[in-house]
Amino acid sequence: MRSDPPLHVLPVPWLRRCCSRWTALDTILLTALIFVVTAACWKVVTQLRYHWNWLTLFGHVIRIDPDTGSPTPGALLQGLATTIRLSFWAMLVATPIGLAIALLRSSRRLFNRWTGRTFLELVRNTPPIVVIFIGYYFFSERLLSVFDVSDTLQDLPESALLWIEAGFGPRSQLPAFLSATASIAVIEAVYIAEIIRGGIRSIDHGQVEASEALGLNRLQQLRYVVLPQVVRNILPPLSGQFVSTIKDSAIVSVISIQELCFQGTEIISATHLHFETWITVTLMYAVLTFTLSYGISRLERRVRKHSGSALFDKRMTG
Amino acid sequence: MIRKPSLRSRLLDGLLFVLVLSATAAFLFGGENASGYPWQWYRIPRYLLERSEERWRWGPLMQGMGMTLALSGISLILSWAVGITAALMRLSHSIVAAAISRGYTEFIRNTPLLVQLFFIYFVLGPIFDIPKTTAAVTALSIFEGAYVGEIIRSGITSIDKTQWESAYSLGMNLSQTYRWIILPQAIRRVLPPLTSQTVSLVKDSSLVSAIAVADLTLQGQIIIADTFLTFEIWFTVAAMYLIVTTFLSVAASRLEARMDRSLRR
Repeated sequence: MRSDPPLHVLPVPWLRRCCSRWTALDTILLTALIFVVTAACWKVVTQLRYHWNWLTLFGHVIRIDPDTGSPTPGALLQGLATTIRLSFWAMLVATPIGLAIALLRSSRRLFNRWTGRTFLELVRNTPPIVVIFIGYYFFSERLLSVFDVSDTLQDLPESALLWIEAGFGPRSQLPAFLSATASIAVIEAVYIAEIIRGGIRSIDHGQVEASEALGLNRLQQLRYVVLPQVVRNILPPLSGQFVSTIKDSAIVSVISIQELCFQGTEIISATHLHFETWITVTLMYAVLTFTLSYGISRLERRVRKHSGSALFDKRMTG
Repeated sequence: MIRKPSLRSRLLDGLLFVLVLSATAAFLFGGENASGYPWQWYRIPRYLLERSEERWRWGPLMQGMGMTLALSGISLILSWAVGITAALMRLSHSIVAAAISRGYTEFIRNTPLLVQLFFIYFVLGPIFDIPKTTAAVTALSIFEGAYVGEIIRSGITSIDKTQWESAYSLGMNLSQTYRWIILPQAIRRVLPPLTSQTVSLVKDSSLVSAIAVADLTLQGQIIIADTFLTFEIWFTVAAMYLIVTTFLSVAASRLEARMDRSLRR
């Protein structure tokens, strides 16, 4: 597109980015925007008589420890940490599951393909909140009672427990945390499976034929020829899925995992600071995901520049 | 190329698949001995269809299903309206319109729906006097609208520029070109992703149970709180969602296959 010289004479609006200018529409929209914001502020001040109390809320972000007098993370920052931990472990578990489903789905055997497809469709077509509820009761009442996490924890030495707390959060919440992580992992795994399958399908079939001609068996083909190329192609969409995981992790607040969204509802039931809390929680999520998205788009640009990979070429040319 | 498996191996695989499926079902839904859970499926039908005063009535689960479908239906139409507006604004010459659309899309796509729902219900609700159900519909439409907008935008930009040039040389202005030339082609082209977005909408509508809108999920939760039929109810609820979403998914993949064929022609 860039190489076409007479871009500015084209009638296509979105190709005339250069000619963006101030129009009557701009004036109308800006006026409307200012009007709505002013009306909302006016209503908050005069009719709702809302008492802003940012100082109390700030105390829930960074808390001054009464014993030592030093600042410690408050409920909201702890919630943010739990959100990040949850998403991180869920992604870590979800990726191998997703890979397994993707391999099943691109298998030659009908049985494998059907099994993969059934699992995928079952999870993908059920609302996450329902999966989380089923997973919560299933994992916490069935599986974890078999393994008995709490008992195992008590037998561990204190130093090991500190490491576990650094990675998984407070030990009292560990069983609930694990079942939430497992549920989120299952939900994300099916999306990752589709990403990986797309990556596998984007590999030129000549590669597979060539490796077959070299006498590699199916496993060796995957290990040495297909997957290394797939990994490079799917890295950007896979990291994009991490942002989705962070967003989906808000849903586990319904089973009382103490992540960011749940901490928000808790603070509100204690302080009734609706406005301040939701504004802060929304902004915290936004900052977290925007930072990640920005990093991903830079990664994407670098991958595109260095590899000129098949997947991106395809996407660019549609 | 993938070699076509022989008929015998395909039959064998089919048989194996059915066997594994029924084994899983037997393990999950079998008696207490098999699964270690006292299943009470016979108590479920009354929550779907109940008989009171000599008349048949929909049970709470079916009422919840109705609520879910109504919410999804209204939000679907609104999200299309929001999405088309956002896409057109983003592609316009206007600086403010493009900026608003960009900010809206980025912000909505980077925060969780649950938080948006709480924000609209608890923060904007009191300011603009929004009741519960309206807040739910608003949140869903605004959330899905951002995704629909991106899909439609990709559809519009995928239309060949000769279409624009031809329309202009026929003497059409911008809105006529959009109305008669660009949008009909763009929407048709993005119909498959839009249908899968509808599946997401139905799934996402389950989150409104968090602000106590009586949809399928909330009805399920209420029944479980009363009866402790945890797994029976959740599996029933999941199956009800599955019926709707699978129907839509199948429609989406059919559409996609048809589009593929017509594009290749």
